[in-house]
Amino acid sequence: MDDAQAVGRLVRRCKAGDAAAWEQIVQQYHRRIYNICFRFARSADDAQDLTQEVFIKVYRTLSSYDVERGAFMTWVTTITRNLLVDHFRKSKQDRVTDSLDASPSENEDAMPLGQQIQDKTTPADMRSQSREAGEFVHRALQKLSPELREAVILRDLQDMDYREIATVLKVPEGTVKSRINRGRAELARLLQRTYRQVM
Amino acid sequence: MPVEGRNNMQCAEFDALLSDALDGLLTGDKSESFQAHARVCTVCGPLYSEADAGRRWLKSLGEIEPPANLVHNILVATGGRDTARAKSGQQVSWAAAVRGWMRPVFSPVFAVARQPRFAMSFGMAFFSLSVTLSLAGVKLTDLRHLDLRPAAIKRTYYETSGRVVKYYENIRLVYEIESRVREFKRATTPAEPASQPQNKEHKNNTSGQPEQRQERNYSQGPDQPVLAGLPNDPPVVMLTIYRRIA
Repeated sequence: MDDAQAVGRLVRRCKAGDAAAWEQIVQQYHRRIYNICFRFARSADDAQDLTQEVFIKVYRTLSSYDVERGAFMTWVTTITRNLLVDHFRKSKQDRVTDSLDASPSENEDAMPLGQQIQDKTTPADMRSQSREAGEFVHRALQKLSPELREAVILRDLQDMDYREIATVLKVPEGTVKSRINRGRAELARLLQRTYRQVM
Repeated sequence: MPVEGRNNMQCAEFDALLSDALDGLLTGDKSESFQAHARVCTVCGPLYSEADAGRRWLKSLGEIEPPANLVHNILVATGGRDTARAKSGQQVSWAAAVRGWMRPVFSPVFAVARQPRFAMSFGMAFFSLSVTLSLAGVKLTDLRHLDLRPAAIKRTYYETSGRVVKYYENIRLVYEIESRVREFKRATTPAEPASQPQNKEHKNNTSGQPEQRQERNYSQGPDQPVLAGLPNDPPVVMLTIYRRIA
């Protein structure tokens, strides 16, 4: 509750034209927003551009934020999610539901994801295996549909509760839970073919 | 194939409790029923294990470190100049604010005007204007003495109007005198048989006066004698014209 009040005061100062308050908001939330954008985007450059767009939109619409109606983080995450959805609609990258056996996009190699993972992983290099695991999970995450991907990202990577996620996604809490479970299971199926021993 | 567990748990209920089970929120009989259903159901069992595995995969992902210049870029994109001003405590002057508003409006115009093809046109226009003003006797240094009081403007107006009317009347006087002279010459010159010079004269007559042919008496035939005559020694008329140019 103290955090919410502190953020509320910060937002009010920012609305009054306090540039230092805005800088503090950017410092406080840029890491979180960047991580959400990075998990949706395919590259760090895209994530950086998207993060800047998010903060530009937050800056322009800050006067419309009502402290009494919800947490600032939820409001910012909603803006982020809407902008990401718009971005991927424009770039025609939505509805990517390729499985491990499906043919990858034209920007990638000609092999399916499962073969790519197998080819890049050698049994002798166990230490690099754990380091590369994050990259493989990230790539598998890109294969999920946007609805499942955003649900699992907000829950398992951003640690948001179900009610906040339901607010951001504008769907009932039960739908959020269902999407999270399906997203987790789909991700596991994508990765289990090559990483059964790790699990 | 979905089955009903020993504790009568349906697959729909299992699905609803799956998130709570993975979060460790299920306890007591609920948890036992859930685990029992997962063991016997061929659909819910694999779903539970896959969801649990997927959750652990996602949790293994670490936080990504954002670029070092990200905050700076965001602040610049969202009014970094304002931030810098606020830090330095400087106030925006009125002229600077006007310049800031006008810059986006006139910058495209100036960008076009700076092109070589337009620069040459503007140069020629300036040259023409300066030549015209020089010929008209206008000096830019005289503008310093320009009196913009209403009384002075009114006096200047009447003076200018008077000069223009006087100049016009002078021109009219000139033309009247010239036309009188022509009439007088025509009257003193003996009748010319050829009509060709008259045609030429009419073509070159730019005085604006009515043509002399209209003043003829058309009832008079060509074979009728001219009643008017001149003495053999016509008088010499000396006329000096002073054209006044204001």
